[in-house]
Amino acid sequence: MRQGIQAPGWLAKRSTVWILLVPMVAVAGLLQLFASSLVVDIYTQFCVNLMIVLALQAFMGNSGILPFTHVGWMGIGAYASGILSMAPMVKSLGVPNMYPVLVAVQVPIPVAIVLGGVVAALVAALIGWPLMRLSNAVGVITLFATLIVMHVVMTQWDNVTNGPRTFFGLQKFTTLWIAVIGAAIVLYVVHWYRESSPGLRLRASRDDRYAAMAVGINVVQVRYIGFVFSALLAGMAGGLWAHLITSFSPKAFYILEMFVLLAMLVIGGQGSVSGAFLGTAIVTAARQFLLQVEAGINNSGALTLEVFGLTDIVMAIFMVVVLIWRPNGIVGGREFTWPLFRRRMKPAADGATGSQQT
Amino acid sequence: MIDLEFMINTVSLGSLYALLSLGLVFVYGILKLVNFAYGEYLMVAGYAMYVLGTFTGVPWYATLVLAVLTAALVSYLTELVAFRPVRTKSLTAMLVTSFAVSVFLQNVVLITISSRSRAVRFPSFFSQTITLGDATVPLRNLMIIAITIILLTALTLVMKKTVLGMAMRAAADRFTTTRLMGVPANLVISAAFLISGTLAGVVSIFWVSRSASVDPLIGMAPLLIAFIATVMGGMHSLVGAVIGGFVYGLLFNVLSITLPASLISYRDAFMFVIVILFLLFRPEGIWKGGYTEERVG
Amino acid sequence: MLTIENLTASYGAITALHGISLEVGEGELVALLGSNGAGKSTTLKSICGLLRPGQGTIRFLGEDIAGRAPEVILKKGISMVPEGREIFGGLTVEENLRLGAFTSYQRDRYRTDLDEMFALFPILKERFTQAGGLLSGGEQQMLAIARALMSHPKLLMLDEPSLGLSPTMTDSIFELISDLRDRGTTILLVEQNAERALEIVDRAYLLTTGSIEFSGTPDELKRRVDIASVYFGGEDDGTCEVRL
Repeated sequence: MRQGIQAPGWLAKRSTVWILLVPMVAVAGLLQLFASSLVVDIYTQFCVNLMIVLALQAFMGNSGILPFTHVGWMGIGAYASGILSMAPMVKSLGVPNMYPVLVAVQVPIPVAIVLGGVVAALVAALIGWPLMRLSNAVGVITLFATLIVMHVVMTQWDNVTNGPRTFFGLQKFTTLWIAVIGAAIVLYVVHWYRESSPGLRLRASRDDRYAAMAVGINVVQVRYIGFVFSALLAGMAGGLWAHLITSFSPKAFYILEMFVLLAMLVIGGQGSVSGAFLGTAIVTAARQFLLQVEAGINNSGALTLEVFGLTDIVMAIFMVVVLIWRPNGIVGGREFTWPLFRRRMKPAADGATGSQQT
Repeated sequence: MIDLEFMINTVSLGSLYALLSLGLVFVYGILKLVNFAYGEYLMVAGYAMYVLGTFTGVPWYATLVLAVLTAALVSYLTELVAFRPVRTKSLTAMLVTSFAVSVFLQNVVLITISSRSRAVRFPSFFSQTITLGDATVPLRNLMIIAITIILLTALTLVMKKTVLGMAMRAAADRFTTTRLMGVPANLVISAAFLISGTLAGVVSIFWVSRSASVDPLIGMAPLLIAFIATVMGGMHSLVGAVIGGFVYGLLFNVLSITLPASLISYRDAFMFVIVILFLLFRPEGIWKGGYTEERVG
Repeated sequence: MLTIENLTASYGAITALHGISLEVGEGELVALLGSNGAGKSTTLKSICGLLRPGQGTIRFLGEDIAGRAPEVILKKGISMVPEGREIFGGLTVEENLRLGAFTSYQRDRYRTDLDEMFALFPILKERFTQAGGLLSGGEQQMLAIARALMSHPKLLMLDEPSLGLSPTMTDSIFELISDLRDRGTTILLVEQNAERALEIVDRAYLLTTGSIEFSGTPDELKRRVDIASVYFGGEDDGTCEVRL
């Protein structure tokens, strides 16, 4: 045993959470004191993204299933919380065809955000069971098709979403500290879930579905729990996102956005909360940088053409390079634990020799 | 409603979808990869037609052939550069890679050409109609049927009569054992991607000719159709993919004429819901097929 | 002919072979025995190139082949009959055999090779155009062996050829293996049915949890039956056919 400072039990048990949380809060504090409002906005965005990616990790990382629907839960949370929190006047202006019942209802914003998550979870609960029964390619494709269905509904149901047009008029509610607190809670909850009984059983089903079934794990059930749980968190995060951005359209909850979320999780490492955290940080920073470069090129007029899409190209290449270099992401499925880097001492799987040859 | 015109158009649509699904399953069968970049091979062929037809004097038939070859080449290159290095890693890694390849190709076109759609020229007979008895059908639809018959026959011959075809069928069944026979893994996988790209290219000709324009996101709809048709038909055999394509074409045309106008914009959603419900009762699809779930390692 | 020195192999963090050394001489029939998980299949997979070994050398006819691709190793003259037969069920018997000759195909020789296989396994001629998946277990094993022989191997490796076969069929498979040896084929045989294997082999190696525990002639091995039975019986999960 390597000897470090002996941490008290409660700290050691959730050391991963503290290792991630302390810098996250510290940076927020420093930015609050010294940084420009632009940087604070970016950091707020990072915290909201972190919630969504952590929610994605809770299901995808533990089940091994790629839930394309995830960005849809975020969308449902965004629309539902917006409809619930906006003043009737604003709604009837913004969404002329909205059902009168929905126009009339208004609750405080925090309640609306929580209810947004509940709505997303309810939808997930309603459609999740059959989806969780399918595995492998059929499962992947069906979840993808479900995202398309959700998108079709969002763009067509203009009594609720204003159709493909922009949904606007939300109040800005999500400040830096609300986002930080939200991210901290989600971080704790997702880490707790990972170590909880349903989380452990879900991980067992990921590693070997048949072995898990053989020891009595109801694979569909543990997947279903994870799916609904993940949707609940994503829906609430979507609500916070909506009350940060204040106007959006169904495009914000579709394939390209799912790709960005996936990039964050996969680059960091889908197998762990630490990976989700690191990946979100890296990708958010890289995207901001690339978007600046892109804007710089376009504004300078150095090139006759405008280079929209450069960011996505670089992200795509970056993602493939990471997958080739470290298929389990930068963190590689491990968690940061106290003492730091203890498990790095012995390089494990990377030097493995038994890999199947090609 | 069920007249000759409906039948020809349905068979034609089904043929197109069958080719589309077949291209997807060729790669899936061997690599167990659900290739999200598949729609982009189709898009690339569309842009090849646009570039060749607009900026060069290449005759139309050469343009079409070159477009198909471009799709095959791009398909092959994506395998070489992106899929091969991650092939032995996790299935999710490969899936995510295909997603990244798709985003990459879309944005390359976005930067180098435009995000707006571009007009593609086709010879005039593509838009002619002919009258058969009391049915008036686009000539294009008859061409699709003819091309599909030719391609399916050719592919059947290749798969049944050539050693490479046997090796590909064997690899889809038991990949590792196929390598023990001395069949290089890269050979069958590259061949699968070449065929997949070729089929995407051929479909692209007819797909693009319907609107005579191409845009960076044009691959999305055919990708979805291929997905849904293959899971419906059965992902574990080439026959299943063809059946799935035809059934999807039929379902699409039936929904098109039976759904009330107010619901027509939900047609895709209806299709998916029907298919998802169907899969609940029969997860292996219509045609079960003999391929195992063995992963390529 | 085949010389392995200090070979290691691992699956991720689990080491399956801890530096084993073994030798197969020209014309010999050598058995690799051991219980489940001892590393027998891992050894064969390392030799035929399906698994990239860690350290150590695998010399075949004087050349180090460790870590080469399976198709390269096959061309050098090592052919394998995999565990569980692994017949291509959707392909006909004919097509299975044709793939066996993938690397060595020559039109004239192919015909005579087929005739030779029909002489060895008359049942394959009857079933020539049937799908491989429709054959019985024993017939599939024959097809698997015939398929491996189609490449004219200098060294034939068989992984558990008697697994799941009836006693009669097991008899004829073992008879066939010793016939093949008599005709000059060098054979490396992996078996759990140690008793039967020891009846026909020239030498045997006993593997336990990734190391060579013992090597020698069948007689020498049988004299140490009490030790062997510990290894065969002790980790037996009750499903394998170890009797010694």
